[in-house]
Amino acid sequence: MSAAPDEAPAPLAGVRVLEWSDESAEYCGRFLAGLGADVVKAEPPGGAPSRAVGPFLDDEPGPDRSLAFWADNVGKRSVVVGDDAELAELCAGADVFVHTLRASQVAARGLDAPTLRARTPGLVVCAVTPFGHSGPWAEYLADDLVLMALGGSMAACGYAPGPDGAYDTPPLASLGDQAWRTASTYAALAVMAALLWRDGPGQGAGQAIDVSAHECSASMTEWHLMTYLCSGAVHRRGPHPTLRGADGRLVAALNPDFLGPHVFAGMLAMLEADGVAGPLSDPAFADPGHRARNYREVWQACKRLAAKHDGEALYRLGQQAGLPWGVIRSPDEVLDDPHLAARGHFVELEHPEVGRSAVYPGAPFLAHASPWVLRRRPPLLGEHTAEVAAEWGAPR
Amino acid sequence: MPFPDTRVGDHTIVGAVTAPGRGQPAASGAEPAGGAMALDGLRILDFTRLGFGSQATLICGCLGAEVIRVESTRFPDAVRVMPPFVPDPGEHGEGFGAATLANATGAASPNRGGIFYKYNTGGKKSITVDARHPRGLALLEDLVARSDVVAESFAAGTLARWGLPYERLRALRPDVVYVSMCGFGHEGPDTAHVTMGPTAQALTGSTFMVGLPDRPPAGWSFSYLDHVGGYLGAMAILAGISHRRRTGEGQHIDVSQLEPATALSGALLLDAALNGRPARRPGFPTGNRRPHPPTAPGGAYRAAGEDRWVVVSCRTEEHWRALVGAMGDPPWAAEERFASLAARVRHAEELDALVEAWTSQRDRYEVMALLQGAGVPAGAVQDAADRLERDPQLAARGHFTMLGNAEVDPLPLEGLPVRMSATPPHTGGRLRRGPPLLGEDTATVLRDVLGLDDAAVADLAGDGVTT
Repeated sequence: MSAAPDEAPAPLAGVRVLEWSDESAEYCGRFLAGLGADVVKAEPPGGAPSRAVGPFLDDEPGPDRSLAFWADNVGKRSVVVGDDAELAELCAGADVFVHTLRASQVAARGLDAPTLRARTPGLVVCAVTPFGHSGPWAEYLADDLVLMALGGSMAACGYAPGPDGAYDTPPLASLGDQAWRTASTYAALAVMAALLWRDGPGQGAGQAIDVSAHECSASMTEWHLMTYLCSGAVHRRGPHPTLRGADGRLVAALNPDFLGPHVFAGMLAMLEADGVAGPLSDPAFADPGHRARNYREVWQACKRLAAKHDGEALYRLGQQAGLPWGVIRSPDEVLDDPHLAARGHFVELEHPEVGRSAVYPGAPFLAHASPWVLRRRPPLLGEHTAEVAAEWGAPR
Repeated sequence: MPFPDTRVGDHTIVGAVTAPGRGQPAASGAEPAGGAMALDGLRILDFTRLGFGSQATLICGCLGAEVIRVESTRFPDAVRVMPPFVPDPGEHGEGFGAATLANATGAASPNRGGIFYKYNTGGKKSITVDARHPRGLALLEDLVARSDVVAESFAAGTLARWGLPYERLRALRPDVVYVSMCGFGHEGPDTAHVTMGPTAQALTGSTFMVGLPDRPPAGWSFSYLDHVGGYLGAMAILAGISHRRRTGEGQHIDVSQLEPATALSGALLLDAALNGRPARRPGFPTGNRRPHPPTAPGGAYRAAGEDRWVVVSCRTEEHWRALVGAMGDPPWAAEERFASLAARVRHAEELDALVEAWTSQRDRYEVMALLQGAGVPAGAVQDAADRLERDPQLAARGHFTMLGNAEVDPLPLEGLPVRMSATPPHTGGRLRRGPPLLGEDTATVLRDVLGLDDAAVADLAGDGVTT
């Protein structure tokens, strides 16, 4: 087991998770590994499909060089299985089986939850699929982009229309497989809940979990559904307001007046200290209605401020004034954030077989009594086949 | 029925709600609806508000936990009083989206803010307590002593200033799982920083990942990280309960809105650090064109109608051949420039134009059905109205649950979008009910959780402790 004896037990220490997944649900297993579970990724002899997804280390493809695979499989072990019978055999030694097979596939392959659980009643079987195991779209095909479209976040994101109100750019989905990540996160939560119940009032009983990435993706657009329900209005695409710093870097600059008078008071003090408040020093601006009607003046003053400071400095100036401003960073620029560094967030792991080390995002929250587990680099293909066979031999 | 690990009765009620007649908790009233739920008996004292924190506790509520929102009548949760406002009863007819816009009467009520209804399903209860009243703090302490989890999303240090730092919570309830959720968390040099979703999205790279090449990022138009942070808040609660079961000990778990986002960029961090390819570079991000794995065609294409779009995504030769067949084998598809995936990626712009010429003549759902029938990943770009009114899959899965309360008619609301065979989650939580009116459960909670009698409940109300 992964936890060293002198360390506090992780929340899922001793829990055996078997994963049969393409890139759509590997993020689920990554969470469960971080919580201390022994997550074993079962793969066909050629490797899981995600091992063929780029980018690759030094741009040289190879099953042990996919950085996409590394990112979502850090902390796991890998076994190669020859056929579905071997996979079912491994299930018998597991507490949790996470897979990405559609309803027709599990039935055809004898990997359906009732069959697996007849042999291992305590098994939690979690299927993460594009549309779930029921409904008219259950057998439809989807990648992350299709799910971002159907789920609604794509329709709501993109650039503003032109002056005539017509859009000359498409709705946009984020990179990074956010629909799959949302589904995987919900899957991890459901697995945790199922284990809590199994080991408590459930008296050892596992269950089947059916996660539809479409439903997960559909439930994330915050106020858009409620806006439609309340007013009939559908959200129009367009970015949040940004200020451009002296170095050209953009700063997301929300001014949440609705939170109370302290918001404008903080902003005014900041602008006056920098000598750019202009008309905002007029006491009339103390009235929220006046501010709302003359918001252009507020924004112009912010732009005068922005022109004098670089993006990172502007972010901190706004924050010192109590404003929820944030400089727009690329994902890798986050590695330099001093706050995350102080929280010990990023973890460096050695990859001795390629003579490199790599930095991975670590604990998603700080739980000092049960720290996040991130010690294993992502597994080489089949690296632990013999080891797992020996350890997992006894059925659960 | 208490949560299996809960040792109710081990914890002395230490607060100063010296009301007459306080005794053992009353037996719960009505028998709860439905069968087993995963978190049956788990009690969460919930100080969260807005989106981030409330998303976490709604998940637990949908799993069966008893979530008691502690609220204030003087400072109601902003989403209770912000537009959009839920229409007056009877104001909407068949379906939704037809409500009149003249429903500003909602502003006078703390129960009409629409976003509140997004984040407070799960059968949450609401009590109103004046925490500044000396007896108010004592009342909260009594509730802490009888709760498994204390969850909050105030700025760092706020609850401590009320007199409820973790050390105090632990004194009241030694195995309490205390989960704080705020922008930068409670540890580190920048804990005073404040965030809303878009702030955290900017700082963590999420905003950056939405955009067309060589233009400023478009970003997310909603607070994606309120959702993601909330999911991780729920994970923290479940992790804390799992740890308590194994060790008997509680802890403070510190959730920020930053850490939950750092792994959302997948391989981009590794590509930058190991391959020397920073994400801030010409041509990146790539809009809807996914570089890994490559697809062509792959993206959003115009469909018939104003601003209607459909996504088509061909990753394999099978997808491509099926698409060509569905389009009626146009001659251009046989040209050399489209003969392999690599060739199609190289000529993606020309290919996109040809595919769009075909999709733009057709309804987006027609394209989706035709292509899915042929074995091509495709999907309409759906907005909120589409999800409610035109999505047969969400309807068949029971994605929306009609729930209201005494002030608003039932609305199609969302909860935990996961099916579990033995412990099904429910958007109405254990009580199968809609989001609570402000203070709706004050008296019930005082009676059932603290065992107060009617006279004691009335005394607290009369003294302005509960409002």
